[in-house]
Amino acid sequence: MTPLVLILLAAAPTSPGYPAYQKANTLFVEQKFNESFAAIEEALRLDPKLVPALTLKAKLAMAVNRFDVARQSLLQALAIDPTAEYAQFLYGMEAFLTNDTEQAMLRFRKARQLNPSDAHAALYLGLTTESLGQTEEALSLYQEAVRLEQAAGKPKAETLLPGARLLLLLGRLDECERWIHQALKLSPNLRDTHFEFARLLLQKGDAAKAAEEGEMALRLSGGTVTDVQIHYLLIRAWQKNGSPKRAAEHAETVRALETAVQK
Amino acid sequence: MCSRLVALALVFAGFAGPTASPPQIRFEEIAAKVGLRFELRNAAAGQFHQIELTGGGVAVLDYNNDGCTDIFFTNGAAIPSLRKTGPEYHNRLFRNNCDMTFTDVTEEAGLAGEGYSMAAAIGDFDNDGFTDIFLTGVKRNTLYRNLGNGRFADITAKAGVDGTDPKFGKMWSVSAGWLDYDNDGWLDLFISNYVVWDPAKEPRCGTPEQQFYCHPNVYQGLPDQLFHNNHDGTFTDVSQSSGISRHIGKGMGVAFADVDGDGLISIFVANDSVRSFLFRNQGNGTFKEAGLEAGVALREDGYAIAGMGADFRDFDNDGKPDLVVSGMINDSFLLFHNLGGGHGFDDYSQRTGLLMATRQLTGWSLGMYDFDNDGWKDIFFALSHLVELGRYMGRDSALANRVFRNVEGKRFDDVSAAAGAGFQQSGMHRGAAFADFDNDGRIDAVVSVVNGPAKLFHNITASKSHWLAIKLQGRRSNRQGLGATVRVHLPDGRDLYNQATTSVGYASSSEALVRFGLGPNPLAEKIEIRWPGRGVQQLTNVPADRITEVIEEVKP
Repeated sequence: MTPLVLILLAAAPTSPGYPAYQKANTLFVEQKFNESFAAIEEALRLDPKLVPALTLKAKLAMAVNRFDVARQSLLQALAIDPTAEYAQFLYGMEAFLTNDTEQAMLRFRKARQLNPSDAHAALYLGLTTESLGQTEEALSLYQEAVRLEQAAGKPKAETLLPGARLLLLLGRLDECERWIHQALKLSPNLRDTHFEFARLLLQKGDAAKAAEEGEMALRLSGGTVTDVQIHYLLIRAWQKNGSPKRAAEHAETVRALETAVQK
Repeated sequence: MCSRLVALALVFAGFAGPTASPPQIRFEEIAAKVGLRFELRNAAAGQFHQIELTGGGVAVLDYNNDGCTDIFFTNGAAIPSLRKTGPEYHNRLFRNNCDMTFTDVTEEAGLAGEGYSMAAAIGDFDNDGFTDIFLTGVKRNTLYRNLGNGRFADITAKAGVDGTDPKFGKMWSVSAGWLDYDNDGWLDLFISNYVVWDPAKEPRCGTPEQQFYCHPNVYQGLPDQLFHNNHDGTFTDVSQSSGISRHIGKGMGVAFADVDGDGLISIFVANDSVRSFLFRNQGNGTFKEAGLEAGVALREDGYAIAGMGADFRDFDNDGKPDLVVSGMINDSFLLFHNLGGGHGFDDYSQRTGLLMATRQLTGWSLGMYDFDNDGWKDIFFALSHLVELGRYMGRDSALANRVFRNVEGKRFDDVSAAAGAGFQQSGMHRGAAFADFDNDGRIDAVVSVVNGPAKLFHNITASKSHWLAIKLQGRRSNRQGLGATVRVHLPDGRDLYNQATTSVGYASSSEALVRFGLGPNPLAEKIEIRWPGRGVQQLTNVPADRITEVIEEVKP
């Protein structure tokens, strides 16, 4: 259950805007953004102070890169209810996604104060902290996010990956491997995890296994790692593995993808 | 035999052995004191034109052959006219008076220029012994021929290098460099082009309340260009036939080197937010883009950094040119180690400590030089975040530059904090060029600053190490010997490697001399020069602490 759904359940059903808001949320889940937006507008017409509706409006706005609208809605929501933890988290996301790291830091910190058991807030505060160069603090926030998810009985592979990536950058390969193995155990078919594992293996000098993991990542869909990233890894893995032909095939695929984008 | 004994005696007299702590690399910022008064004007006026972010190239050259290195700065222009509407936009040439003072000789040299200039590339394209200047700019490139009498003539049209592309027309060129790609003894010209840009169609980015510069992905990329020298003061555009223009990028810094030891110069282009190019010279007038296969196209995780400056240098003295590339905050700067034998490069950014040490920096020009003459090349980065990015970061966009000391080819230590008070001053640094302006054997740096006074970092490192600079004069090769590689064998058994190139960093041009820090060795036991045409020349027992001129031997 996502925090948003929890907020929905907690929202006062007595609000005249609530049914329209419920409809908007259903449409949002179905990714019918235009219809959802219309329903949200209706909900807010009926009850301009309906915090969950303002929060959903912000989420919708962010989905279509209207960060100005999102910020406005969240500011309204937080003015009505300063303890609205999910609104506060989204307010942090708005800053994070617009690269306003200083504001993101402040807002995520506040989100953590409002809900210390929110793993997302810890994770994104970690990402913000890392982008500001504070690697040790970031690592401990990633650990905290993992701990919170485990405590809630819902550990996720995706939450382990930022920490694994940072450990790889820091050259702490054994720790990185532990995090990746945990992630693989939780989600054996997550593309990003296999990609990170392949990077780690390549750094450790096991090009054959890196190529195997990379090829597996390429077969899997979803995640945030792009095909180009995986092909680039595979070029190097196959080269080191004594298969320049396989490497060249991946290079040509990247060039074909670039040509398609340019056209 | 006698000279050999003298050489050995010198070796042992000067051999102090390893010291407990190496001398600290130190600079004194002396621009104002020595008459180097220049402000780079980008003409920003709240309209967030993309061109305001780039430019600022600096070049060093000895235009009057007096043995003292002079300085040339490029400058902006009014927007949207792209005209140099007043002297504040003039490009500037400063003559080195050979006493570490400089005089502005722009007017008499005829170099004030026109248009929104970006980079300067220095090379003696007509082999007459006087270095010429090629300028890139926004829809205007200019070739100035050095007339040898203190004046330069704009010969762009006659030379056929105004850069008009059959498809894109006049383009926005950022960097350029001189190389002899076909080893015919004449310098050819490579130009990196950035994005399609029109002041009348500048996209609006940021938020409705707060406009900001657009990300490069909002603009269409451009092909790079290559011009072949026809040996008669004209050039032929071979961008298409060479295969160069087949690739669309967002070109920033360019660097040249014989990456696989086959005697042919290849070309690296640092692209902004799309993958970088390595144009491998096929030896038949064509190039194969092989950045992906060579492992220099992207960061280790497959991410395209905002590539800025680049320099090919051998950081670990294994005889193969490595590659350093600067980028934007959270990109990290990249160091690629050349594996040799055409096997490409390995990303050494992490294992040498550069990756994390540069993650919070935004770098423009750079240069890998041995600032403390210990025999290991260090790295100087000219830094600043994008203007107004500071608002998002909660910190100033202006940054102090950084210098990283090369620890025996294994790692780079940031030694900036102790590099002198002037070095700590932040600024909107852009271009940087490297030369020894006072001929004391310690390499200095000149840096341009957006809307601020340029800086001259005089190297005052208290090192007792010896040095050697080799001034090449090609006869069969191009006059400056650009593209030549030099190996120096030292009495302590070490071999050092370097190459002749002026194409260093971002939009900038550095001295053509091939420099070596010799550490405690007072001479080079053997010097081996591989000229671009593959001729090899050797010298023995060359004394240190001087510039040695070497004229190419031409055997019948």
